[in-house]
Parts: sequence; C-alpha cells; structure tokens
Amino acid sequence: MADPRSRFTRGWWFLAPGLVLMTLIVSVPLLMAFRYSVHRVFLYRFDEQTFLGLANYLRAIRDPLYVNALKVTTLFTLGCLVLSIVLGLLVAFALSSREVRLRPAWLALFLIPFVVTPVVAGIAWRFFMWQQEFGVINQVLGVFGGPDPYWLLERETALIAAIVSNSWHLTPLAILVFYAALTTIPDELFDAGKTDGAGPMQSLWYIVLPMLRPHMLFVSIIVITSAFREFDMIWSLTGGGPGRATTVLSIFAYDRGIANQDMGMGNSIAFSMFVIMAVAAWIYITVYRRVLEHEE
Amino acid sequence: MISPRTKRRLLAVLLHGVLGLWLIYSILPPLMLLAASFNSTALFRSPLDLLLFREFTTENFSQAFTRGAFWFFFRNSVIISSAAVVITLVVCVPMAYGLSKITGRARSAVSFGVLAMRFIPYVVLALPLFLLYVNLGLAGSRAGLLLAHLAIHIPFATWMLIGYFDSVPEELEQAGIIDGCTPWNLFWDVTLPVVRSGVIALAILVFVMSWNEYLFALFLAGSDAQPLTVGITRFLGGAEAGAEYGVIAAYSVLVISPVIVFALAANRYIVSGMTAGAVKG
Repeated sequence: MADPRSRFTRGWWFLAPGLVLMTLIVSVPLLMAFRYSVHRVFLYRFDEQTFLGLANYLRAIRDPLYVNALKVTTLFTLGCLVLSIVLGLLVAFALSSREVRLRPAWLALFLIPFVVTPVVAGIAWRFFMWQQEFGVINQVLGVFGGPDPYWLLERETALIAAIVSNSWHLTPLAILVFYAALTTIPDELFDAGKTDGAGPMQSLWYIVLPMLRPHMLFVSIIVITSAFREFDMIWSLTGGGPGRATTVLSIFAYDRGIANQDMGMGNSIAFSMFVIMAVAAWIYITVYRRVLEHEE
Repeated sequence: MISPRTKRRLLAVLLHGVLGLWLIYSILPPLMLLAASFNSTALFRSPLDLLLFREFTTENFSQAFTRGAFWFFFRNSVIISSAAVVITLVVCVPMAYGLSKITGRARSAVSFGVLAMRFIPYVVLALPLFLLYVNLGLAGSRAGLLLAHLAIHIPFATWMLIGYFDSVPEELEQAGIIDGCTPWNLFWDVTLPVVRSGVIALAILVFVMSWNEYLFALFLAGSDAQPLTVGITRFLGGAEAGAEYGVIAAYSVLVISPVIVFALAANRYIVSGMTAGAVKG
C-alpha cells in the first residue's frame, strides 16, 4: 500500500478533482460546438437538426466571405505580432539601461494599456484617436503637414487602425517579459564581450538577442493566440467594417451563428478556429522544447 | 571630442525622451476619455481643448449613472468577477499544487492538456453555450455566464500557478513529513504560505480578466446578467451621431477606473503574474 504522503499519491489527490472539473467545463462546450458544426441547426429551431457531415465546412471554404475573414484574421494577427515584438523590444531595451531612473515607476505606468478593458480601449481609439477631424492622430499628423485620412471609414486604413489599437493593448506584455529577461543578463557577459572588442550593436546582436529567444517565443505565442481570437476591441472600434475589411473570424462566426441564426455554420467557423489554434499549439510546444534543449 | 561623461548624459536624455514618448502614447487614450468625460459635449474641437478642461462639467457622469443604469451593470460585474476569483482559487490552487507534485509522463500529459486549453478561442465556447442556454431557458443567468468565464480561467490559472509551486524546494515538505504533517498540512501550512504572492497575483489577474470580459457577456448575458462592458456598448448606437461621446467617456472612465487602480496599486503582483511561465512552458 502506497504511503498517502508519498509525493505522487499526494499529488493526485489534489490534482484529480480540479482536473475532472476543468475537463468537463472545457470539453463539453467544445464537443457541442463540433456536434453542431456537422448538423444543420438554426437558433430558434433547435429541435429540427439534421446531420450534414462536413457540408458546413465545405460551404465555408467555398464562401469568399470565410476566405476574406481568414485573410483579415491572418493579417491582423501578424500585424499585432510584429508591432508588439518590435516596440516591446525597443522600449524594454531603453528601460533596462542603467542610465534610466525610477525604472519600476515607468514599468508600472507602461502596464496601463494592458489592463484597460478592450471594449473601452476600442471606444477610446475610435472617438478620440482615429476620429478624422479632431482625433489625436490626425491632429498630430497635421502639425507635420501629413495627410488626414478617414481612418476607420476606408478599407485599408481601418485594418491598420485595428492592428495599431490592439498592439497598444498587447505591447505591455512584451515590454514586461523582455525587460524581466534583460535585467537577468549578468554584466560579466557584456564585459566579456567588450574585452573581445564587441561594440554596442554587436553585443546586442550576438549576446542579447540570442538570450531573448525563448522569451520572444513566449511573447509570440501569447500575442498570436490573443490576436487570433480578438473580438472585443475590433467590435467596438469598427464593428467589423467598413464592409468586411476588419471582419475577423470571431466576428464572422457571430455574424453567421447569431445574426443570421445559422448555428451549424457559426459553429463550424468557430471550430475551424479551434483546429487552427490546436495546430499552432502543437508547433509551439515542439519548437519550445527544442529551444529549451538548445539552451541547455 | 565628447568626453565619456557627456556621452553618458546625452544617452540618459535620449533614453528618458524615448520612454517619455512611449508613456504619452500609453496613457493618451484613457487620458482622452478622462478629459472628454469632464467637458461639455459641445466642446470637442481639439484634443487640447479637452485636456485643458475648458468647459468643465460633471453632467456626463450624472447622465451615465441615471440613463446608463450604471449600478445595475456594476452589480453584475462585481458579482461575476468576485465569484470567478473565489471559484478559480478554490479549484486551481490545489490542482496546480498536485500537478507540481506528480512526475514523469503523467505530469507532461496533464500539463500539455492544460496548456492546450489555453489556446482555445473564446467564440468556440460561447456559440454552443449560447445555443444551449437559449433552448434550455438558461440564457441571462449569472451562473451560466460564470461557467464560461471559468472555462477560460481554470486552464490559465493552473498553468500560471505551476511555476510558483515548482519553485518551492521538495526538502521543505520532506522536513514536514518527518515532523508528522498530514498531506493537508503539507499543502496548507507548509507550501501554500511560500507561494502566497503567486496566489494574490492570480486573484488580481482573474478579477481583471473577468471585469474586462465582453464576448461571453454579449453572447450569454441575456438581459438580466449584463455586466458593465455590455452596459457601455448600449450607447454606441447613439454615438454614431457624435452626440453622446461625453456620456460614453464618463461611462468608460467608470468602467476602467477599478482596473487601473488595481494595476497601479498591485503592480508588483501583476508583474510577477504576467511573467510567470515566461521562462518555461
């Protein structure tokens, strides 16, 4: 008989109840989503369900609007990824310098965009930043004699505006993780680099960036998952418009499932998002293990 | 020739300049909300007018409270967010502790499962639940909405806490076993006090996540369980005309004030919680 205090037995006693609960809470809706996705089912005609197989998925793939939503989501996600990593690195580098005073205070204030309610952030950007006539962006551009586009009313600029607004919300995470990593790089490493004749750019490229690789991977995956499923910010910023220029997959699934009441279609769009993310998760875990092994 | 000292001074000025610009960029959108909320709506001509409070008024706030039925939504937000924090802690603290104790293949399988659940898009949970709730008559209950929140919080919280529990040396518990501790004592009296800051960080992050949540609320809240995030979007229709942005700004300020206060007051915990898991999966 195993000792109830043995590490393993103890662990399972504490783990099991939560594990069962979590599996139920998450997998029941997920399985229901899959079930509805292979049926013809409408919102207020729940009792008339007919099995369709993969017909909803095939219809989605042939639907130019689904392809458009997939394209918009990809551009949106990649845009947020690039912006938040680049800006996050830049700010973290500046902040981690020993010349900077009151570093914890700066960091605390930089966190604000991350906790601001995304729906409210969308409202703030829409009415006070991107607004064509009096918005901050065009007022600042005006000082430099720049153009004054109707940011949210034109197809190309609306997507750019959505990417910038959402990156505003996500960059603090990147700053925080990179900053925490940078402050743990021992000074000896830089001194060694200096003795070997490395300039600031070289030590950045050959010492700092390689050390940040696992952190960049971590930030990337958080930003990718968050941006890929983003709904709130875009919903209050543009509502998916103009036309379908910012209709990401989450909004498209809402559109089909609830606005059009075609729940079979809505659920197959949502479930296709889950499949895409599952593949991304698998890639991430594989790559991450390799990077960590490489470190050791 | 510039002396090294001047060079360092210049660098310091440059760095503070960059950080100052970033700070303005970071706080400008919420700052504009604050400015607009305390100005009469007739004014919005330039951002500068608003920031100087040229036509100061508190009228927008009284409108938000009365016409916006603020307290109704506030009550729902507080109840849902607090319940989410309590349940998540009760479920996830023992669970993460247990997970950090088991080893080998079981451990990698379970942590893979927890991590995988963190990748689930919200909409794939919200749509089937919406259909179920509508047809089972559960639409508009706070419990139904809470359930969706938990589906997001539990994997997130467990994943975040494992790191904290893993950092507690096993020797501590070995000493406890020699002293005759029961398994419960080992968890509650020996290990939990060590990871207290992680638990606080988690409670704050879960509260902020629930407070800010909108998608589930839009899908599942019906008309009785709507939180503040839904309350505010009711104004967006009228705002197309640009007539209501003062009230919207006031409402926005009321919604984001608690989380911003949290972010500044509990900064240390949020920083530690957000970076947990950055070093290992």
